[in-house]
Amino acid sequence: MTEDVIAMRARALAGALTEAGFARLRVRDGDTEIELRRAPSAVGGAGMPAPLAPAAEPAAPPAERRADLIASDVVGVVRHVRPPIAEGQELDTDRELASVETLGIRNPVRSRGGGRVVAVFVTEGQPVEYGQPLFAIER
Amino acid sequence: MFRKVLIANRGEIALRINRACHELGVATVAIFSDPDRQSLHVRHADEAFCVGPGPVVRSYLNIPNIISAALISGCDAIHPGYGFLAENARFAEIAADHGLTFIGPTPAVINAMGDKATAKRLMQEAGVPTTPGSGIVANVEEARAVCEQIGYPVLLKATAGGGGKGMRAVTKLDELPTAFATAQAEAEASFKDGRMYVEKLIVNPRHIEVQVLADEHGDVVHLGERDCSVQKPSHQKLIEEAPAPVLDVAIRDRLHEIATTATRAVGYTNAGTLEFLVHGDDVYFMEMNTRIQVEHPVSELIYGVDLVKEQIRIAAGEHLGFSQEDLNAHGHAIEVRVNAEDPDNNFAPAAGTLTTVVFPGGPGIRVDTHVYGGAMVPPFYDSMLAKIIAVGRTRESAILRMERALGETRIEGVKTTVDFCRELLGDPEFRAGGVGVGWLPAFLERRTAAV
Repeated sequence: MTEDVIAMRARALAGALTEAGFARLRVRDGDTEIELRRAPSAVGGAGMPAPLAPAAEPAAPPAERRADLIASDVVGVVRHVRPPIAEGQELDTDRELASVETLGIRNPVRSRGGGRVVAVFVTEGQPVEYGQPLFAIER
Repeated sequence: MFRKVLIANRGEIALRINRACHELGVATVAIFSDPDRQSLHVRHADEAFCVGPGPVVRSYLNIPNIISAALISGCDAIHPGYGFLAENARFAEIAADHGLTFIGPTPAVINAMGDKATAKRLMQEAGVPTTPGSGIVANVEEARAVCEQIGYPVLLKATAGGGGKGMRAVTKLDELPTAFATAQAEAEASFKDGRMYVEKLIVNPRHIEVQVLADEHGDVVHLGERDCSVQKPSHQKLIEEAPAPVLDVAIRDRLHEIATTATRAVGYTNAGTLEFLVHGDDVYFMEMNTRIQVEHPVSELIYGVDLVKEQIRIAAGEHLGFSQEDLNAHGHAIEVRVNAEDPDNNFAPAAGTLTTVVFPGGPGIRVDTHVYGGAMVPPFYDSMLAKIIAVGRTRESAILRMERALGETRIEGVKTTVDFCRELLGDPEFRAGGVGVGWLPAFLERRTAAV
């Protein structure tokens, strides 16, 4: 991917993730990996993007929390596993989180290792496009 | 009529199709790749789906993702535009299997016309004149035997070819082995089909093509011819016009007659184009393109027919609703392709961000484009940024308008063909009309020699 494309992707993903309040976010998408870091002054804020001017009083040092964003590789419809993965759920190891059904074929979505599920972005039966965030997993 | 159409393309043609759909009251779904997220075709559509990353095989050629996007958004038809999947019979079949109407001819016709050797045989059977040549030649030895029979110069062509790929001119025996190997390798790489055939090379013919429309009820009309002889050395068209200038009326009528006869003979439906080589009084069928063409606006402007809307209406099963007698051409139209490429460096494609974009306007000017100031030109796709089309009462007035329009055009950030095309329009030979396909390559050689 060109740098322009990465920047464009990063901006789109950052919007979906501010709510999670992470200091760092690593996004793996096919063969690309993007790491997003929030400006220190913004961490702990009310889910707002980093302000341009630094805060008068520095916020408490941010926790170095890292999350992986699991995005869809295909265009299709989300089928959650039974029972569905819930926010806050701890994963011991790599496992299937859901699948995206494309033309009757179920494409499994895996967690790519253990961690804590901090965000589930999609509901059962929801149409998703290529690159759309499905889950965020804190490592 | 359809409720919702998925537009399986990008760039100016995606916008063109979107406009036709909206004028017909049909909702649209765009598809896009990651780098095209900010593209105008995405903004114009009612809905849009990202179908993959930049490389075309993973996005604009990703059949499962494209069909899936059409199904989950509730489309009932797909318009393929040109390029990408437009002449892919398998895609048309898969669409049909999923209950989606492919806006184009049937898969069987796409297959027959897409295979150049088959197309040529079918046309011969329909009484259409074709260039002397062979069927598929298995190897260079077979090619050599054919060449000796028909005489040099010859043209080696890939049966799956298009856009000048997999094609080589051979003027004498010595050149044959290398030309055969490179053309075949190019065809393998581009089309995954290395089957080759040999044709007599007609020296410096004119490239004249006839636009046809055929509905599913047996009605066929033509919308005259276009002259696309101004081609780069790579055989890509750069300037097109309608009608063909200084063409004998008997030849013109013959081309129109052959085109409609052939269209009926192969059971063609929807919009199509039959390309011919014209050399003196001789006309030879070259190929039939089973899609809308880049240069369709020149025909639209002189006939007052919206070809893309007609494509959609025909695919929806409607009658043409007009006959040949209802179609009358008025004036002359000319199209210039504005490409992000460097005419001083073998038309090398350029990618980057467009810092300034100003297109022309005023009487008789149409601009079909997807770019704007600040837009990014990704490296993955066709280098065409815009088509500028001028129409006038006469050829001279259309050319004068085009010169004025190109003078108004400002594109900065990448090199373009704007100034170069203006230079071409001023050439006395072009101005006289009727140049052959060898004219632009010769012009380039003279230009390089003069520097």
